[in-house]
Amino acid sequence: MARMSVVDAQASGLPRWLLLKIGGMVLTMIAVSFLVFSVLELNVDDVAVKVLGQFSTADQRAAWLQEGGYNAPFLLRYLRWLGHFITGHWGNSTYYREDVLTLIAPRLAASGLLAGAALLVIVPVGLALGVIAGVREGSVVDRLVSVFAIVTTSIPEFASAVFLTSLFVFWLSWLPGVSTMADGFHLRELVLPVSVLTLYSAGYIARMTRSSMIQVMQSPYIRTARLKGNSMRRVILRHALRNALITPVTVIMLQIPWLLSGVIVVEVFFAYQGFGTLLYQAALNTDIDLIEACTMVSVAVVVTTQVASDLLYAWLNPRMSFR
Amino acid sequence: MKALTRPTAATGALLVGGWLLVALLSRVLAPYDPLHSMIPLMTPGARGPDGAVFWLGTDALGRDVLSRLIYGARTVIVVATAATLTAYAVGMGTGLLAGYFRGRVDTVLSFFANVILSFPVLVLYIVIIVALGASAANVVLAVTFGSAPAIFRIVRAITIDLRSRDFIAAAIIQGESTWRILLVEILPNSSGALVVDFCLRLGYSAITMGVLGFLGLGLPPPTPDWGGMVNEGRTMAFAFPHLVLFPCVALSSLVLGLSLLADGLREPAGRLRRVG
Amino acid sequence: MTILSVEGLTVALPQGADRPLAVDQASLELRQGEILCIVGESGSGKSALSGAIMGAPAPGLKVVAGSVRLGDQELTGLSEREWCRIRGRRIAMIFQEPMAALNPAIPVAAQIMEVFELHARMSHAERHERALALIRAMQLPDPERIAASYPHQLSGGQCQRVIIAMALAMSPEVLIADEPTTALDVTTQAQVLKLIRELRTAHGHAILFITHDFGVVAEIADRIAVMRHGRIVEMGAARRVLTQPEHPYTRELLAAVPSLVPPASPEPVAAADSPSHPVLTVTGLQKKYGRVRAVNEISFDLERGTTLSIVGESGCGKSSLARLIVRLAEPTAGRVEVNGKCFLSLRGRELRASCRAVQMIFQDPFGSLNPLRRVGAVIARAAVLAGADRRTARDRATELIDRVGLPREALDRRPAAFSGGQKQRIGIARALAMNPDVLIADESLSALDASSQAQILELLRKLQKELGLAILLITHDLRVAAQISQRIAVMQGGRIVEIGSAEQVINSPGHPYTRELLESAPGRGLV
Repeated sequence: MARMSVVDAQASGLPRWLLLKIGGMVLTMIAVSFLVFSVLELNVDDVAVKVLGQFSTADQRAAWLQEGGYNAPFLLRYLRWLGHFITGHWGNSTYYREDVLTLIAPRLAASGLLAGAALLVIVPVGLALGVIAGVREGSVVDRLVSVFAIVTTSIPEFASAVFLTSLFVFWLSWLPGVSTMADGFHLRELVLPVSVLTLYSAGYIARMTRSSMIQVMQSPYIRTARLKGNSMRRVILRHALRNALITPVTVIMLQIPWLLSGVIVVEVFFAYQGFGTLLYQAALNTDIDLIEACTMVSVAVVVTTQVASDLLYAWLNPRMSFR
Repeated sequence: MKALTRPTAATGALLVGGWLLVALLSRVLAPYDPLHSMIPLMTPGARGPDGAVFWLGTDALGRDVLSRLIYGARTVIVVATAATLTAYAVGMGTGLLAGYFRGRVDTVLSFFANVILSFPVLVLYIVIIVALGASAANVVLAVTFGSAPAIFRIVRAITIDLRSRDFIAAAIIQGESTWRILLVEILPNSSGALVVDFCLRLGYSAITMGVLGFLGLGLPPPTPDWGGMVNEGRTMAFAFPHLVLFPCVALSSLVLGLSLLADGLREPAGRLRRVG
Repeated sequence: MTILSVEGLTVALPQGADRPLAVDQASLELRQGEILCIVGESGSGKSALSGAIMGAPAPGLKVVAGSVRLGDQELTGLSEREWCRIRGRRIAMIFQEPMAALNPAIPVAAQIMEVFELHARMSHAERHERALALIRAMQLPDPERIAASYPHQLSGGQCQRVIIAMALAMSPEVLIADEPTTALDVTTQAQVLKLIRELRTAHGHAILFITHDFGVVAEIADRIAVMRHGRIVEMGAARRVLTQPEHPYTRELLAAVPSLVPPASPEPVAAADSPSHPVLTVTGLQKKYGRVRAVNEISFDLERGTTLSIVGESGCGKSSLARLIVRLAEPTAGRVEVNGKCFLSLRGRELRASCRAVQMIFQDPFGSLNPLRRVGAVIARAAVLAGADRRTARDRATELIDRVGLPREALDRRPAAFSGGQKQRIGIARALAMNPDVLIADESLSALDASSQAQILELLRKLQKELGLAILLITHDLRVAAQISQRIAVMQGGRIVEIGSAEQVINSPGHPYTRELLESAPGRGLV
């Protein structure tokens, strides 16, 4: 496409820009790791209590702390942990009694599947609703879409899970109430979790797309396009969409971090064996190593998505250069 | 005030006002003590032994759902408001400073905000609650941490925009002190956008409390908490849907009211073009 | 031969507007090979008229009566479908803000080619060829590069030429130009106007040109129509309307256009008892952004009671210069002396005490006042900052409101209640509350109508006489400079290329750039 020529001309700026962004990512990850480690392991006594239980004696705890090297100064412990973490030694889960890294990987994949399926529905629905509402600003359709968006973004995921379950599982018995996938993969078990995730997110995307569309439709170049003799349909398809969708597309990328949050609630509700339920169990059982690892992984996903989103935005918006 | 006459804002105000009243008059409205156990798992509308009606039924521990719902409103409104106000104090203060002075102050503050914003929100809450324990104060702390960076960004953006306006330049040229510029010139001109955001954030805080309660990480029992009620009733929901439906409806209606109010208070977009 | 005839066209405004009709019974005729200029101030309805002719009125506006005939086809009441065949092919329109009027995501050649896609049967290669030919015809250098460029990679003038090329692609019978040069520099404007004149002469296009600038009108119009409050109050041959206007409003508008002829040596005020050294001295002032020198070794004096205008086009650094003098930005080199004392080295409390000496009024009336504060409070606060106590400050505010010619009630109102010209007066009152020695006016007249401009100029002249104020006027408009300044400095690329008395700079310019500026001033010699 013609756009590539612009990017090529600024290609010299791209590697530098990427380097800066990746540098920022690394810095952020280090700051995050420090934050997480401090919050969870600053007070060694708390750690001992959490791991050994409330009824452990002071002696037992002291012995365990000595053994685990917890009496070293804080900074040293942090650096030791960070070193282990970078080299892939993520510790052991006290609850599952397994190596954390091998524990997380399949769960992450399962959540990825859920989030991916959700995105497949969210993106077309959200964009379509937003474009239609934006083009017909002020009409009945617009008001309906706006109200729909406000309503769905006001209902927390667990509440919409309750509502949908009451309707489709309790009352109509159309769908299963849990999604453990105990005996292999069943699409039916994905329907409710995906629907819950979609409801909230699609409404949000619809609103963003709508306001972007409205703003674009008021631009001078849309007027030019119309006065050239373009029919309204052509104006929208050829001129408006191309510019109006830049922001929503990048916003969609930024929904991935949001989905990481939403997926926790949904998985817990429907007993889906994914990353969310893993973190949930870790939290309930103060499984420190697992919590630390899960947190680092989630943050890594968020940070990578943010950089990818910036990249996408710069690629789509011809006015941006990688300076 | 004129804005409140618009249908969306009016509906929102009604919903929010309604729940506010419920929270204020909880002692009067609630038929029973929310912590008092009576007959477990009564269906909505059933009569108790002394003839009184359990309008919304009772939960697994025999407590009246309606009373718990009413007191839960108080819990949510108090904690969510406290949390949002704290978040605003932090976010607004830092946002103003970062947006006005830019430079190193901005770089440092923005870095911190970005670090916190790299956490998926729920993960952040989980880490904080696990580390500090579950209590109302910690929920407030968690929400503050979660919301302050976003507020920081909004206030910073508004401040940067306002700072470039000529009336700020005029104040600077006339030797006006920085404090006065921030408080008298910049802050009042951002209030419109911030009021809208405040309403929305109140809603998010309420949702957060609900989610934390649902995950069992919220306020410790037996405090009546809508999210906690859903968590407790989840396992029996198939047979006793009233245990989970009513708290969900309550929370959704409160947040919906806040969202509608926020939307109604927004500056009208797309004004008519002037005749040229 | 009449190409376009408009009869009794009436366009209604939506409910709640300040008048019921945007356009009230407008009638005009446009003939082949002529340029008809529609002149009027903002709010006169001229843009509404052009929108209505194209069948695309602004949102909220509605055509309620009248007829528009293109050749022998009636245009009012056409369906959207039929309009799509006429727009771009038989009537085309260009308007303000050229860069914003092009799709930022599509290279310009493709946008020109789209016109051919819509109205002609051509192969892709042919369309591309024709687009290139059009770009060449617009006298744009390096046509291939321009064709492949995106709008943000071109200058405002280049964008406008691309838009003109797009409009003329199908050789429409009528071209409507709605303020096409208002957003352009004066030299660029001169080139575009020349281009439009050639289109009329060489190709016989019929052009409807809408503007508020009488200088532009004088430059290119064959016939003129004057609009006010939606009505056409006068129409006739250009020469006649300009030299013998009949309607009082036309006369008023013409009188408001500042003449390029400086008035007979305006006396510098308070020459007798002023100290011998100038009130403001700038030496070697410089501002670098990276490698770019926005302000490059600027030096000049400003005497008490005189006006020095700094004239230049956008990007020459004149606004940066103003900001450096009032210390909104810090220079990278140079000295600024106010009343003999070094101004740049002042800090903190000292600065606050001395800053009253140099005050500023701004370009955009809408952004220069805090929308939430009452006018009286703003002026009184300025007086307090200058050292007055509360009560004295309030009296001062009243005194200043009188001085700038606004009613006392203004003190209790908020800025939204005032027009652009009135807001500028408030800005002047605010600046005067500090008893400044120097008043810097940074393009303070650019956003105003010609009549408001004339009034503010008069006010500034009066204040200078009464208070012995030294005025540094930053402007791009040579006419304004000619009318109020004793001396004029011409700025280009961060440097002052010429400085001298107003008469000398205008009547016998030394530097080629000054000459170019003078020649580009539209309507020179006619208005």
